Amino acid sequence: MTGPWAEALPWAIVLPLVGAALTPAVAVRHPRVSGFWAWGVLLVTAVLTAGLVSELVARGPFSYGLGGWAASYGIELRFDHFSAWVLPLVVLFVVIVPFSWRYLDHVMPDERRPPFYALLLLNAGGMIGFCVTGDLFNLFVFTEVVSLSSYALVAVGGRGLAAFAALKYLFIGAVSSLLMLFATAQLFVLSGSLNMADVSLRLGEIGGGTAVMVAFAAYAVSFMVKAAMFPVHVWLPDAHAIAPSPVSAVLSGMVVKVGIVGMLRIYQIYFGAEVLELGAFNLALVWLGAISIVMGAFFAIFQDDIKLMLAYSTISNIGYIVLGLGLASPYAVIGAAVHVFNHALIKATLFLAAGSIIHQTGFRTLSDLRGVARTMPQTSAAMAIGAVSIVGLPPTAGFVCKWYIALGAFEANQAPFGFALVFGALFIFIYYIRMLNAFYFQPPVHASVAQASETPWSMRGPVVLLASLCLILGVLGGIPLTFVEPAVLDLLPFWGQ
Amino acid sequence: MEVVDVRPILAPFVSFLCAGLVFGFGRSIFWRRFFTFLAAFIKMALVLSMLPGTLQGVVYVYQFVEFTPGIGIGFRADAYGMFFSLVSSTLWVFTTIYAIGYMQGDRDRVRFFGFFALCVSTTVGVAFAENLLTFFLFYETLTICTYPLVVHAETPEALRAGRIYLTYTLIGGGFALVGAVMTLNAAGTLTFAAPGILGMESGVATLAVIFLCLIIGFGVKAAIMPLHGWLPIAMVAPTPVSALLHAVAVVKVGAFGVTRVIYNVFGVELLRELGFATPLALLAGFTIVAASTIALTQDHLKRRLAYSTISQLSYIVLGAALLTPLAATAAVLHIANQAFAKITMFFVVGAITRTTGKKYVSEIDGIGARLPWSMAAFSIAALSFVGVPLTAGFITKWYLALGALEADAWWYVLVLITSSLLNAGYFFPILHRAYFRQAKEPWPPLEPGRRFETPKTLLFPIVICAAYVLLLGVTAEVPGMPFSVAQVAVDGFFAPVGGGP
Repeated sequence: MTGPWAEALPWAIVLPLVGAALTPAVAVRHPRVSGFWAWGVLLVTAVLTAGLVSELVARGPFSYGLGGWAASYGIELRFDHFSAWVLPLVVLFVVIVPFSWRYLDHVMPDERRPPFYALLLLNAGGMIGFCVTGDLFNLFVFTEVVSLSSYALVAVGGRGLAAFAALKYLFIGAVSSLLMLFATAQLFVLSGSLNMADVSLRLGEIGGGTAVMVAFAAYAVSFMVKAAMFPVHVWLPDAHAIAPSPVSAVLSGMVVKVGIVGMLRIYQIYFGAEVLELGAFNLALVWLGAISIVMGAFFAIFQDDIKLMLAYSTISNIGYIVLGLGLASPYAVIGAAVHVFNHALIKATLFLAAGSIIHQTGFRTLSDLRGVARTMPQTSAAMAIGAVSIVGLPPTAGFVCKWYIALGAFEANQAPFGFALVFGALFIFIYYIRMLNAFYFQPPVHASVAQASETPWSMRGPVVLLASLCLILGVLGGIPLTFVEPAVLDLLPFWGQ
Repeated sequence: MEVVDVRPILAPFVSFLCAGLVFGFGRSIFWRRFFTFLAAFIKMALVLSMLPGTLQGVVYVYQFVEFTPGIGIGFRADAYGMFFSLVSSTLWVFTTIYAIGYMQGDRDRVRFFGFFALCVSTTVGVAFAENLLTFFLFYETLTICTYPLVVHAETPEALRAGRIYLTYTLIGGGFALVGAVMTLNAAGTLTFAAPGILGMESGVATLAVIFLCLIIGFGVKAAIMPLHGWLPIAMVAPTPVSALLHAVAVVKVGAFGVTRVIYNVFGVELLRELGFATPLALLAGFTIVAASTIALTQDHLKRRLAYSTISQLSYIVLGAALLTPLAATAAVLHIANQAFAKITMFFVVGAITRTTGKKYVSEIDGIGARLPWSMAAFSIAALSFVGVPLTAGFITKWYLALGALEADAWWYVLVLITSSLLNAGYFFPILHRAYFRQAKEPWPPLEPGRRFETPKTLLFPIVICAAYVLLLGVTAEVPGMPFSVAQVAVDGFFAPVGGGP
């Protein structure tokens, strides 16, 4: 039983990918048109995904067989509750792209815009595909689409260091992709199928075994790298700090989540098959998560560059998510899943606000940016809201996840991790309070900061919008739960220790 | 009887809206004042309009949104919440008048008045919070909103004070969060209820951890020793901030939280059985005496008042921890009694500093002649702290002593007497200097054209608040006065146990 929107499922992937391919052609005369084109494509995609989500809410998960071939023979696209993540994802893209119109003026010459927007659309299409595919091989393909476009987007800023950071990202990303390909092949050999649901069924028949576990381990490590968990986070800070700010927002907010969503997908397969005892693995996740939280905060304290600081806090926040997953109690997993979105929102706010400030003043370190709140009050306020939010203080979006994961920690009788989470978050505040003090309560040291003007509305609008969302979602924390709860509760019976 | 009514949420929302308007249009002095006053009066009217209902036992509730399944952001104006919000919304009006006079010509007034309104908004939010989650949301928001006020001067000293303030309060907030989460796990609900929501079945160890976390969490703002370190340092803030926030709103929110934990999370019966309240009472007794002793040695006027605040706050904690109706009455009453008396003192100190530039006790010889009205007000407040009959402070001491005897803990009466002596010990020298010593040099004369000793925006709130201290002292039994509200509140705490006052 499917509704009209179910037929639109492949278009949600095809549209941005085709849009990407057409970008250079559309913008051949006027390179700046590419920005509006990309925005238009994403806007239509957003409408499509909204339709898909409405279908999901009305009728539950649904599938689409490509070319009319039924699942397990043909290629299946599946839209379940975890796939609902594509809607906020595309909406964030829709908000970020207008910001980039004016921002890119200082970053690249006009003629390089079409490839930039093509890459951005590829990236979006890849992530949508990743979330809705029901097929392991396509999962790999879309991972690669996302990764390759991300490498290029990091390098697009064009300076020497950007290329270096992109290269570092690429080397580590390639290892991760290789592991994923290996695991996919392994599962194909073992089960004779690539369809996720099918693989899960057949794994159940085969039972456990070393080979199955090796595939799992390969997937796990691969996705950990993509999610930039400690200790495989080394690629992240440079790449995210050096990329142009709209790209940093995309990378930090969404691309690292590919690792998390991928992890959940693999969990679905293995839990469905009931072939895994996850006690030890969960314990490892919990510890890695806790260490990520603290280490991310620890490194961030010593940064003077605001974007580098934000990049390190991504590691901390991925730590929350992983900690929540590892705790494996309903509330903790719900909190982790909610934070996948909330962190994207908060991080987009912060990176765009930081980008605005860098764009208007030309400085990017705390000591240079003193007193910037006087001349850029709205952007600075957005930055402040983002900072309070990322630390998880109420009444902001960041608090929602902290509340759930802490609740989950005590629910799972893991009180020490509950304490670690709550107080680890405060540790992070040390560096944000330094930032707020510098922006608000210290006199400017540079004339260009003292005379900076607010950003044009195409940049300020997105920033203000995102910051208000951080506040609104802090109060209406229940909304994301509509999607997250059913998905998590489906998964949980198999979870446990 | 519970009635669904929008007023409990409107009251915090009014000042929240006011903050928004001040941030938006605050550049213009007229609009800034207009919005602030309008909001202050609307809020006071809203709270007062609920008073008759409260006295008849009506509880106004309003559920805002679901936050977690089963736990929403809810507002509930019970008698205790009403009492606290009455105090804070009344004082907001006076502090606004005072702040307008005091901050004239100061820097960044938009920011100042904006965050000031936000702080008041969250204070009333705390008062009307229906459950521990809502309480916590407002409690933490208050911490954040006070920070810009503490560092207002933007000097290195102010920034340092801000850092220390945040360190204390945020770590405290962390404990409160853990306590709330554990409470939810143990009790399955967070909604404040009269007999408390926790039960023996959770196990003594868990209950002990919860109690410790929540008391540490809220005790930081209530400045129970040894968690008091931030308060004297935060006195670097402008005087209206010290007055409203560090003598009334912020610290009272902490004391209010401690009381809520004792009566509405644990409940009298459970705590009597567990005996956790006894060490808390001992700690409060210690704080009362120790902080007063430190106050003796302080020469800086505001710091002396700060230590006095620490000591006085523990009256509330002690009253709550004794677990008897009479002591609870004292605890609730002292929220108002201490607030009005202490705010008078801070106002006077601010007026002294603004008018003469003096900040130290040793500098104010003969000030009584220069600021006769202000010093008269100060004297009334000082008498109240010492506990002289006919002032508000006497009522507290009387009930607290009765409550201590009721709890078979006569030694707390000795603590109270000691405290009274110590209060006299650090306030009377100020009066002595003010009235009975010659000024070392002549005071700066009145500016030409001024009729009053200090700008009337400063003098007016001082006189009103001092008058209120007397009023609270003599009209204890008049219906409609705070005392009657306090009694309804205490009846609520002890109703399930039996044996109201």
